[in-house]
Amino acid sequence: MEELKKQLKAQIIEALNLQDIKPEDIEDNAPLFGEGLGLDSIDSLELMVLLERHYQIRVEDPREGRKILQSVQSMAEFIQSKQPA
Amino acid sequence: MKVKCYIQGIAAITPQHTFEGDIFAQPLESCSSNLLSVREPDYKAYIPANSLRRMSRMLKMGLTTAIKCLQDSGLGAPGAIVTGTGKGSLQDTERFLKDIRQYNERALNPTPFIQSTYNAVNGMIAVQQQCTTYNNTFVHRGFSFEHALLDSMLLLQEGTPHTLTGAFDEMTEEHCYIKSRIGMWKTEKVNSAQLYEHPSPGTIAGEGAVFFALSARATAQSYARIAGLQLFYKPQPGFLAAALPAFLQQQGLSPRDIDLVLTGRNADSNYAHFYQQLEAPLPGACQLPFKHLCGEYETAGAFATWLAAHILKAQQAPRQWFPMVPAFPERVERILLYNHFFGEQHVLMLLERAGAHGG
Repeated sequence: MEELKKQLKAQIIEALNLQDIKPEDIEDNAPLFGEGLGLDSIDSLELMVLLERHYQIRVEDPREGRKILQSVQSMAEFIQSKQPA
Repeated sequence: MKVKCYIQGIAAITPQHTFEGDIFAQPLESCSSNLLSVREPDYKAYIPANSLRRMSRMLKMGLTTAIKCLQDSGLGAPGAIVTGTGKGSLQDTERFLKDIRQYNERALNPTPFIQSTYNAVNGMIAVQQQCTTYNNTFVHRGFSFEHALLDSMLLLQEGTPHTLTGAFDEMTEEHCYIKSRIGMWKTEKVNSAQLYEHPSPGTIAGEGAVFFALSARATAQSYARIAGLQLFYKPQPGFLAAALPAFLQQQGLSPRDIDLVLTGRNADSNYAHFYQQLEAPLPGACQLPFKHLCGEYETAGAFATWLAAHILKAQQAPRQWFPMVPAFPERVERILLYNHFFGEQHVLMLLERAGAHGG
């Protein structure tokens, strides 16, 4: 799980071209939208694309997406839940 | 009817040092790769970092030039935003097309798609300026900028107090290669500063973003008046012999009223005969070629308009950029601009010193 979160943070920084931010600057439970990283609705679409490209997970329901993209922790838990046991 | 179109503010990001500082003191920049790339400024001074991270090169160039132009004009929010572009944001278009292929039309990133649309720069300017007025982008190859200008002149004539009018085009390595396959560029590598010494098929590529704040009223700050504009699509090879005197006559002028001619000459032997026609109707007129400064691209005419506006306002040319021109006129009241894009879209434009001739 820790390795997955570390990898996810690096992928988020690369996909969203976050300037001057390192993976260690992103807290696991910090909100990605609003206060935390200050991401917006276009970024949420980019994160959906990230999940599909890197983890082959397609989020069909936008309401589900809101919960999944709350933080790095919630994204990692979702990815792990979709991976074969 | 006298055209009331005054240039009140300008800004340009080009292969020369045109964005900041005194252009009359800037050195001539050249390249030997047959592609003149723009000198990009530090965008952070103009665009918030959080917005900047998502923008591609073309968007950053266009938006920054527009902001700087409005600052230069002191006019505030524009009454209309009108632009022209031949290719829009190529970088985004290429990225989007590559993604379609790589990901089998699934998992497509929205940002390059949004930004690849031609009017993305206009949209960004409107959002940034909170400007909900008329907003239009013209995409007409070598007429793109000129149609934006024509539309702006009509808007001013109809009562719009001022417009933000611009042009932007970028060149990518891949697109440059594609165009080389259809013979647009020279096959031999040429130093851009010596471009005119190498007449052969093809020319050198370029890019740039130029914006103008246009107003129907002249002020002490005005750079110049755009006094006339005429477009010709695929004309006959000898068309200028009749078209140029007729254009001048339409403005109530004769050839000797033209102090300076800006010509889009680009050492492309396929189309050099068009520029050679300028000699007969304008004998002895000082001609300044400008393609060694900006390269060839669809909206290079905007660069020439920017240059003409500076010359008319300062009453001097950046001489260090024209080592091939032995003598410049002492006073410049009127500049004629003649440019064409690979022999298809031809433009005649007349610019006058603001405040002169009752303007």
